[in-house]
Amino acid sequence: MMPGEVEVKAMLAKGGIPVNEGYAVHSAAEAAEMARHMGFPVVVKVLSPKIPHKSDLGLVDLNLCSPDAVGDAYERIVKKARTIDPDASAVVEAMAAQGTEVIIGAKRDPQFGPTVLFGLGGIFVEVFKDVSIRVAPVNRQMALSMIKEIKGYAILKGFRGKSAVDLEALADVIVKTSRLMMSDESIMELDMNPVMAYDKGAMAVDARALIKD
Amino acid sequence: MSESSLDSLLKPKCITVIGASREPSKWGYKVFHNIVSNGYKGRAYPVNPSAGKIDGHKCYADVGAIPGAVDLAIIIVPASGVLKVVDECGAKGVKSICVITAGFSEVGPEGAALEEKLKEKAKSYDMRMLGPNTMGFVNNSISLNASIIPRMPPKGEISFISQSGALGLSLVDWAIGSRLGLNCVVSTGNKADVSEADLLKFFEEDPHTWTIAMYIEGLKDGRKFMDAAMKVKKAKLAIKAGVSQAGARAAASHTGSLAGSDMVYDEAFRQCGVIRVEGIEEMFDAAMALSTQPRAKGNRVAILSNGGGAAIMASDACERRGMSVPQLTKHTSAGIARLLPAFASVKNPIDTVAKSDYELYKDTLKMLIDDADIDCVMVIYAHAGFTRADEPARAVIDTLKEKYPKPVVACWMGGEEVNAVAGMFRKNRVPYYPVPERAAEALWSLIKYNEFLQGAGK
Repeated sequence: MMPGEVEVKAMLAKGGIPVNEGYAVHSAAEAAEMARHMGFPVVVKVLSPKIPHKSDLGLVDLNLCSPDAVGDAYERIVKKARTIDPDASAVVEAMAAQGTEVIIGAKRDPQFGPTVLFGLGGIFVEVFKDVSIRVAPVNRQMALSMIKEIKGYAILKGFRGKSAVDLEALADVIVKTSRLMMSDESIMELDMNPVMAYDKGAMAVDARALIKD
Repeated sequence: MSESSLDSLLKPKCITVIGASREPSKWGYKVFHNIVSNGYKGRAYPVNPSAGKIDGHKCYADVGAIPGAVDLAIIIVPASGVLKVVDECGAKGVKSICVITAGFSEVGPEGAALEEKLKEKAKSYDMRMLGPNTMGFVNNSISLNASIIPRMPPKGEISFISQSGALGLSLVDWAIGSRLGLNCVVSTGNKADVSEADLLKFFEEDPHTWTIAMYIEGLKDGRKFMDAAMKVKKAKLAIKAGVSQAGARAAASHTGSLAGSDMVYDEAFRQCGVIRVEGIEEMFDAAMALSTQPRAKGNRVAILSNGGGAAIMASDACERRGMSVPQLTKHTSAGIARLLPAFASVKNPIDTVAKSDYELYKDTLKMLIDDADIDCVMVIYAHAGFTRADEPARAVIDTLKEKYPKPVVACWMGGEEVNAVAGMFRKNRVPYYPVPERAAEALWSLIKYNEFLQGAGK
């Protein structure tokens, strides 16, 4: 089964992986109230296990700055989403600052058990499949070698005046992902896409998981 | 399953073939015949209730009738009769079994159920089991051919583990043809008990094996394999066939579709120091270098050639694989300059401009091996017809007899005269290749092997 994003992020947070704050909501009023409570700006995203590519379908609204905007976003997104999944609802999340997007994932391989994957996010993973993997357990040194191994490493190191991202923080997420996979055998697949990599720190902004029934 | 040593299986002192036959076309004949006709010094007894003698050896009605202890029973009876035979072996106290009989998990769920029973039974008698559905094994160190392989390969330091029986067969044939030495050849069959992990452990301890080569279609327990391989410090090579994307297609996430089975195998092998190769030729090219040459402490290659074209191709092949062809030290350059004609290139790669006499190749090679900035050497000879291929070959052989701190591979390009030299190289344990790309690939495997040993703290 595929639990909702809120549940997956709770699982990640428990494993020590930084995530942005987010809550499932079930009405426009609840969404607006939640946003007021959290503080602006926020993001409203569809919440449905049946819709993996949320932004491709226009089911994510970023950088919302007022309760009205949040309520409207909820109405629009849920209405559209319910044409695909009648049970779709939405999640209100703290707007994460833009960083360099990377993917960190994991998969339980039938022969080798847990494996961990790292790559640059966006088109780098979709088109170029520029990723590195390791059979878990992955320690810090292995995690750093995974980061340095990808072709896009130059982008993480900083170039053309862009500063380097926090490689240690990324390595930390990789190591904790490995630990999570080693300790919880029910997780079959896990995607954190994107993880925002910052000058200091890193944060999983979107996450999906396949859990053994 | 018992994890006891495989000595009784692969180094037995007494063997019985249950289901031995007098009919030369039957496997029951071939296996027994191969055991007794290749110089095996242990005892061998055929078991067949209705035959009198096979190859001059008295037949026994059942395993219980054999005098003395039996280490290994090779079972070639119909699948339906295997369990009963294993019970008889258990009663006799047979230590290991090799089940050549097919018709188990490879044929479907019924066979799989029978295999499960067979596995449990062997375990209950504390026996190690090779197979079922194996073609047997060869152990050259005790002159034992307990397989259907018709000829013994020449003796050597490479042991080969094959999930495919037929491939094992053709490979031995190929090894005979190319005078490549093998120590053991083990066909794993269905791997109900003994798997690659057990064999890796056995070969790590086997003094006659220096390099382990594997043909793997699928591992039953990848973790166990990795754990075993991680502990093996001998060079390990593997062909992993059956590159399938089927699993990846069914994945639910990005990671699932990206981390396909092939990529995971690739990485898993790298993590446990198994050098993955694409095919047989590449595997044995690498094995030849790994089983004869010392460790390459780094990736800096010196190239010595009697022709510019071959030298450039060799440099390209090395650099493409991640090796460097660096400048030589001043001392080496000056030394080599004195040996070569004034217009020859004393930069790496060294082009002797068609000179290939014994002294020149020998002295130059020595200086290259002595260069502190060089980790390994490729010596090339491109046959031109007006020189002799064996002269520089003897220079390489003699140099390696004298000093041996760094790996050297030979690349002799040409036709008949060069082929005659191949035998000389093999006999003297110099890895030899007909083209620079294959020589470069072999050097690369030496470097990767060293990287694993360094990473493993050795």
